[in-house]
Amino acid sequence: MARLEINSVSKAFGAARPADGLSLAVEPGEIVAVFGPSGSGKTVLLRMIAGMFEPDDGDILVGGRSVVGAPPERRGIGMAFQNFALFPHMTARDNIASGLRARAGGGDVAGRVAAISRLLKIEHVLGHAPRELSNGQKQRTALARALIGNPDVLLLDDPLRNVDAKLRYEMRLELPNLLRRGTAAVLYVTQDYREAMAIADRIAVLIDGRLAQVATPADIYAQPASVAIARLFGDPTINLAEVSPVAEHGMLLATVAGARMRLGAADGAAPAGACWLGVRPEDLAVSSASTDDAIPARILAITPMHEKAVLLLRLADGTEWLAALPPDAPQGAADDAVFVRFAPDAAMLFDRATGLRIGASHRLKAA
Amino acid sequence: MDMLELRGIDKVYRSRGKEPVHAVRALDMAVEKGEIVALLGSSGCGKTSTLRMIAGFEDVSAGSIALGGRRIHELPPARRKVAMAFEGYSLYPPLTVRENIAFALKSAQLPRAEVTRRVDEIARLVEIEDILDSYPRAISGGQQQRVSLARALVRDADLYLLDEPMGQLEPQLRAVLRGRIKSLLAERGMTAIFVTHDQTEASALADRIAVMEGGVLQQFASEKELKGRPANLFVASFIGEPPMNLLDAEVMRSDSGFRLSVGTDMRFDIAGAGLDVEAAKTLAATPQVRIGIRPQKIVVGTGDVRVKVVSNQWLGDQSHVAGDCGGRMLIAVTPGRVAARPGEIVSFALEPRHLHIFGGDGTCIRHAEGA
Amino acid sequence: MEHSSLAGRIFRGVALTLILIFFMFPIVWIFLMSFQTNEQILRIPPRILFEPTLANYEALISGQLRTAAGNLQISFMRNLFNSVVLSSAAVLLALLLGVPAAYAFARFKFRLGESIAFTLLSFRFAPPLLVLLPLSLYYQELGLNDTYFGIVWVYQLIALPLILWIVRGYFEDISPDIEHAYRLAGHSWREAFTRIAVPLAGPGIAAAGLLSFIFCWNNFVFALILASADKQPVTVGALAFVTASGIQYGQIAAAIVLSVTPTLLLALYAQRYLVEGLSLGAVKG
Repeated sequence: MARLEINSVSKAFGAARPADGLSLAVEPGEIVAVFGPSGSGKTVLLRMIAGMFEPDDGDILVGGRSVVGAPPERRGIGMAFQNFALFPHMTARDNIASGLRARAGGGDVAGRVAAISRLLKIEHVLGHAPRELSNGQKQRTALARALIGNPDVLLLDDPLRNVDAKLRYEMRLELPNLLRRGTAAVLYVTQDYREAMAIADRIAVLIDGRLAQVATPADIYAQPASVAIARLFGDPTINLAEVSPVAEHGMLLATVAGARMRLGAADGAAPAGACWLGVRPEDLAVSSASTDDAIPARILAITPMHEKAVLLLRLADGTEWLAALPPDAPQGAADDAVFVRFAPDAAMLFDRATGLRIGASHRLKAA
Repeated sequence: MDMLELRGIDKVYRSRGKEPVHAVRALDMAVEKGEIVALLGSSGCGKTSTLRMIAGFEDVSAGSIALGGRRIHELPPARRKVAMAFEGYSLYPPLTVRENIAFALKSAQLPRAEVTRRVDEIARLVEIEDILDSYPRAISGGQQQRVSLARALVRDADLYLLDEPMGQLEPQLRAVLRGRIKSLLAERGMTAIFVTHDQTEASALADRIAVMEGGVLQQFASEKELKGRPANLFVASFIGEPPMNLLDAEVMRSDSGFRLSVGTDMRFDIAGAGLDVEAAKTLAATPQVRIGIRPQKIVVGTGDVRVKVVSNQWLGDQSHVAGDCGGRMLIAVTPGRVAARPGEIVSFALEPRHLHIFGGDGTCIRHAEGA
Repeated sequence: MEHSSLAGRIFRGVALTLILIFFMFPIVWIFLMSFQTNEQILRIPPRILFEPTLANYEALISGQLRTAAGNLQISFMRNLFNSVVLSSAAVLLALLLGVPAAYAFARFKFRLGESIAFTLLSFRFAPPLLVLLPLSLYYQELGLNDTYFGIVWVYQLIALPLILWIVRGYFEDISPDIEHAYRLAGHSWREAFTRIAVPLAGPGIAAAGLLSFIFCWNNFVFALILASADKQPVTVGALAFVTASGIQYGQIAAAIVLSVTPTLLLALYAQRYLVEGLSLGAVKG
């Protein structure tokens, strides 16, 4: 049982700062997904914990003890890599057992290899060399190798990246249970927000070397701390419009492409100045009936996606929005004139200058 | 009229000392003018070979290709009037983004003003206006892919060939660009064929999807048709995210038709009256079938199938619930959140009318209703 | 190429045969010459059919060279032995020094790293004669002249850069994550080097070793200047066949056959190993 603590860790490579004062704690048995756009510093963070490079500043603690400066083999860390990193000249069995054999008192090596490979369904390929395995089997072997030593900290660097879609989906269902078997603190790097939401207890959103938000998947999706985070979660991406909301009769109102839209109750003063209005595509309703609380638009194209109909709409002022409609909803056809609505509580407001969400800061769960 | 016609196309790769590889077998396909077609399959299914034969980078081993009434399969690529976007982008490194896009237009000796207008227009569409004067090595992979797309779409061609056109695009841009490109192709009546391994992309962009496997065209139909009326077990399990739940079932005669039992845990009554004559005959003669039901068609919280929850994942706009029923895994997808923790017992409702039934050889005996 | 016509196939066959004859002829001719006497060789026109003699080989092995001007002592077997000793020792030393150095250049970025690596490579650019004069003066000073060690050392100019640059490329092709994974499994960096990096770069190390062995074997100038008769390799020893009474073609041919055989066998053996190694396609994941 060991907690992983990262205390204001920074790292610079020349002008790039892939880690800029990162602080994060992962409890034993917890899975935290590190999610962010490519180049945001996810992999650098993992590699500092593993000991492939040392932080310029800050401390990394496993079970209360600093591991900075310790060689990788003494940090109590298991790791799975995006490119699998199997030892090509060893069989799958020897790959998995390599860690047990290295440590004194590995105990019943054969028994433990058998147990972990049964769990990962690779018993039938243990005698094969890595080049004889499919990508899915390679990744399962790599996971077995990372899991077998019951490490204090488990680092997974985008492990499903090179696995085909069907296997990725299967692993997405299986992984949380597998990872929670032990008491390891798990950090899981991914570039796929769905994978992060499916697997993690909490998600740490990393943007430009800083943690932008750390919260449960449902909280991040419903209450993103900033417009940048809102854009990272959701497919299709959240719709944005520049608005200047005003409070009237206890309601917040804003003009979107010529239509007066209600944005929920105004608790306190209306936000000052320009804002981003964000509405998720699945929160939009599209119909051919006109009312005064609907935005006039034209359908540019219909692109079915994930059992939904995704409509590319051009609003009256030229802005493009996407609407994701349930499969049984009437869709219309390309070039139709339609009207777009959304419920007031589906609207999110972000400060135009800082990008931060308005009225949500007190709900943020910082790590 | 058919714009592109593939007749009996075969492609065999022979190399010394190795078994010949039959990459494409007896492929017949006709694409109408203005249609967007996706070639969909996993790696090695023959989709890229097919595209490369149409483009002229590979010879056909047998068969013929006609484009707009011209036989093109013996012409060099440059004379086929096709534009192509390559998977590896293949941008010209010494030219700027603007020069890359304008390259073919300049060779076609269009007036300079016209070239500028068209480049600017396509650049706006794929959002690369601000990098028009950069060189390919200075821009990101996603941007290079957008430039490569622009370079193909800006040309005047009878046919546009796109090889994995959107695989590297930034996720935030993907949905919008799909919509814009689809709208552009439709507006100009451009005929396009694109290769992809991503069914989300295929269903988003294409009017019709050609599903390939093992060099053989499995089914060529609209996304709706592929999902509702898959030609065989392969198409049924390949198309759909997450994949269709598949179960082995035993067939028994009942008073009103047939009863399909899956172990001792599930049984489904199929009314004989709802079956056409051919299907009823086949079903009567098949003791063992595979039944399939889409995860989106399973209702969680009601019904008589009791499952132990293995995982329950909320993805922001939908829940994926995996349940174990007597050692068989069932996956249900619902639009709302589901209150079920791993280990709990919940009910799944699987309605007989939503079942697809397949025979032992993978052919479809009955499709789900309402499709 | 699958639709090539009959004429095309015939043309290709003929062309290949001509190229083969062009390249193989000198080797076959030397081989035939080694079984003929000088008179038979110098006959005009030359004949394919002749009565083979082992006299050339006998002369080489016994060290007695019979010429028109009388018997001559040659130390061909000694030269051959020297070649083997010098080349093997040089390659062994170069591997011991070069493989760890190549690993360091491949894996670590350090100050002047690229410059040092390039300097080492530049030894191959300089004409040997340029360094020979100062070198032989130094050697005389240090007492290294005409010692095995001295020659092995100077052979490092040939072998070390070759090994360094070839093996470095192979190390760079191995994903560092494989070594990281091995270390996280509880192994020290020494173990990661000896059990992961070296075995995976094995084909490259073999190829580099073989190539530098051949280059050392074929070296002439260094040994000519720095070694006296009893330390000379075959390349220098072959000069002895140019005698006062003419050039002993038969013995030269036999000497060539004998001196080429070891490298040829080595190359054939290593070729199999190389092909096997290069098909180890899982290295890059």
